[in-house]
Amino acid sequence: MSTPSVLESGLPEAASLSMRPASLVMDLERLGSLHQSRLSFMRSLVRRIMRERWQIEPQRFDLDADGYGTVIYRIRTRSDLFSFVLFSQYLAPEKRNDRVIASEWDLTMALCEGEVEDAYVDYLRRNVPLQEAGRLDAKVMVLSRANRSVRNFDSVVDALAHGRQPEIAQIAKVGYLYRTTAVYGSGKLGMADWEKVSRKHPDFARPFAAEMFTCFMLRNFSLQQAEFIARRRSPATAVALEPRLKRYFGIGNSTGLGMAPYLINHPQLISRWVEMRELALARILASAPVAAERLERLPQLVDRAIRHLEENFTEDEWQTGNNQRVLADLQALHEHLDRHPLQSWQPLLEWAQRHASLQGEELINCILLELHPDLVDELEDRLALPEQLELDPEMPVIRLKALIETSYDWALAIDFNADGAQETFWYRSEEKQEPRLGNCSLDEGREKQMPLGIGYLVQQCYQRITEYLAEHPQHKVARFLLRHPEQRGIVRRIQGMALTHYGEIRANLLDRDVLPMHLLRCKLSFFGVSKFDPRSRLWVRNTMFQGAPLLEDIGHPFDDDWFLPLAPTQEKS
Amino acid sequence: MLISANELTALLKRVFEGMGYTPGHYEDAAALVSWLQLHREDGLGELERALDLVADRDRQANELVAEGPATLIAECHGRSALNCLPILLELACVQALEQGSIRVEIQHCHNRKFILKLLADCARQGLWAQARWENGHDPVRRHVARIEAGAAYPTYREYRLPDHLPQANRQSLTLDLGTVAHPQPELEVGAAREERCVTPADFTLARQQALENGTEISPALWQRLNQLAEAVLVESSERSRSCAGGR
Repeated sequence: MSTPSVLESGLPEAASLSMRPASLVMDLERLGSLHQSRLSFMRSLVRRIMRERWQIEPQRFDLDADGYGTVIYRIRTRSDLFSFVLFSQYLAPEKRNDRVIASEWDLTMALCEGEVEDAYVDYLRRNVPLQEAGRLDAKVMVLSRANRSVRNFDSVVDALAHGRQPEIAQIAKVGYLYRTTAVYGSGKLGMADWEKVSRKHPDFARPFAAEMFTCFMLRNFSLQQAEFIARRRSPATAVALEPRLKRYFGIGNSTGLGMAPYLINHPQLISRWVEMRELALARILASAPVAAERLERLPQLVDRAIRHLEENFTEDEWQTGNNQRVLADLQALHEHLDRHPLQSWQPLLEWAQRHASLQGEELINCILLELHPDLVDELEDRLALPEQLELDPEMPVIRLKALIETSYDWALAIDFNADGAQETFWYRSEEKQEPRLGNCSLDEGREKQMPLGIGYLVQQCYQRITEYLAEHPQHKVARFLLRHPEQRGIVRRIQGMALTHYGEIRANLLDRDVLPMHLLRCKLSFFGVSKFDPRSRLWVRNTMFQGAPLLEDIGHPFDDDWFLPLAPTQEKS
Repeated sequence: MLISANELTALLKRVFEGMGYTPGHYEDAAALVSWLQLHREDGLGELERALDLVADRDRQANELVAEGPATLIAECHGRSALNCLPILLELACVQALEQGSIRVEIQHCHNRKFILKLLADCARQGLWAQARWENGHDPVRRHVARIEAGAAYPTYREYRLPDHLPQANRQSLTLDLGTVAHPQPELEVGAAREERCVTPADFTLARQQALENGTEISPALWQRLNQLAEAVLVESSERSRSCAGGR
């Protein structure tokens, strides 16, 4: 009863090209070293918006002098129509909380199908500001909220009102006016299911496209709102943001543990994202000869990466150290390139593997992706897939055992009896079902833990299988599961994941010293964020869409070159 | 109130997990209920009526009573189909693929209507399938669902049996499975009167509408299920808040 794989990329070259092995790529620390690339969801969304010239205009802009009120944007794509509805309300500074358990926000917003009538806007006004405490319907695709940056918002408005551009040094430090703390989609709170969105609205049929678009709209609104308040405050002196500076503003994001279980609970999707990135890299390495203009552009991008990192600000000691190492890597690379001009990419990769840190090596890979849009960009359409872990009851148990030995050798190699190897457990708190980490010796609730310790579960399953085979060497999985029903979930996962190229993230997530930060960064890099600024090992601030085009840039020539954005130089007045 | 398919499935997973269903089982149970609900066959009503039965961690495990070359008899000891049918169907599929066809008798099993989703799974594996069970008292209704190999949806019929007809096997279900090389048995309805027929086209349309507009659930049941799902949550404390990935 073997099931045809829904997972294979459908690209025969994935089997013929030399791709990096899963043992290397799926290492947790490496996944936690990834950066934004051309394949990141924000990048492909912006390419689509600019290429297809989406028409995005405020249909209603009812704000008072302080910027509070209702705003509705109408979005006309090539074949569809959407509305982005935003409610701005006063929030006392002490209520600005980056946690999911907060209950009030400066901005709340919803992305909806089609036009929204007044009665529907009233319905949204009753529910959207409540976020998880409200209810929505299947016309709504995304729900989000955001808080003003205490460090930036007032000072930017103040500067504009006085006829000045804000200080670039300050913007380089905190590259946004608002920070979002949640972006919900995929049927949550009654919204449209992913299946509906992906089938009915091809514009948003790529992973997290509607969610990323919501953040893009939030970023544009934040800039329009700041200019609007400045104008109302001081009509005689106010100025608009200078376009290059305006583009340098992104939207902030604050991500906590909630993202971590997603990576474990959607392993086929994560495998596919990694596979497409690796396939892009493999294509680039296999392409020869390398055109001279690409070889010439490499040092320019290395320089840009150096400047970008120099402008990267974090108070976190660990991330500061990482950034410093990557800076040193890039400076060394620059010197190396001066002495050893390249003819192909292979020597570059070999240099990176030998000399660079993990984050440095992965940044060099992203630069390579940047140099080859022709080989990379089309893979963005292969990042979505129908997720389905299928049980194969017909498989002989002895084959299942062999499958574990080959695909999960990393899990069998973990010593779960070692000190601290089972000390962490992951659970859902009664507060908004927020995921949290517990310590087995200090916290209650281990019996309610989420089954995220895949390595441990696989090892337990392997032991049961070994015992069972001693008695029933000829049996099939259906009979094994009749005897051991508690193994049903992990057997299905093992069989399903065996069909993937990259499979599982290779780590013991139960270890005392597990770093959830790596999981967060992995997913965020696929989203396309930059400027990781960890606030602890459990959550991270970052910046979205920094350097991306603005609404007013749509319709003008677009060079997709907002990778590693740099602070513009300030004009002296 | 209207809820999404994803929301329904996610909530049901937590409900069943909270009842003690282990990984693999709570996803299956949630999928069975969602399938009926999203195809307008009242999965939530079926679940609500049987909530006391489905939390059956204290009931005896499924048992294979007899196995012949083309038959399988299973005793479910009053368990719900939600936690006993998937595993039995898988075994039956393995046997049918090996032998060409098989008849399965399942005894003392509640909520047998949930088999509809499993029939679609069998068809996806290249098997035709036919399930038959009887329910109710005066009148007794016979339920028959048939699906062709490779089809997405079954045809599901309800018949009314002649009044005062005694039910031979309470809470039992008969299932025939086979490969395309073996003919599907003719449907025997005898004196039964067809009261309802749901075609594959009806199932397709129901699913499309549920996805377009959401699916209806009573606020009271929504609240009850959410309360049941709280069993998976851990009480909050100041210490736990500090380990939540926030300030």
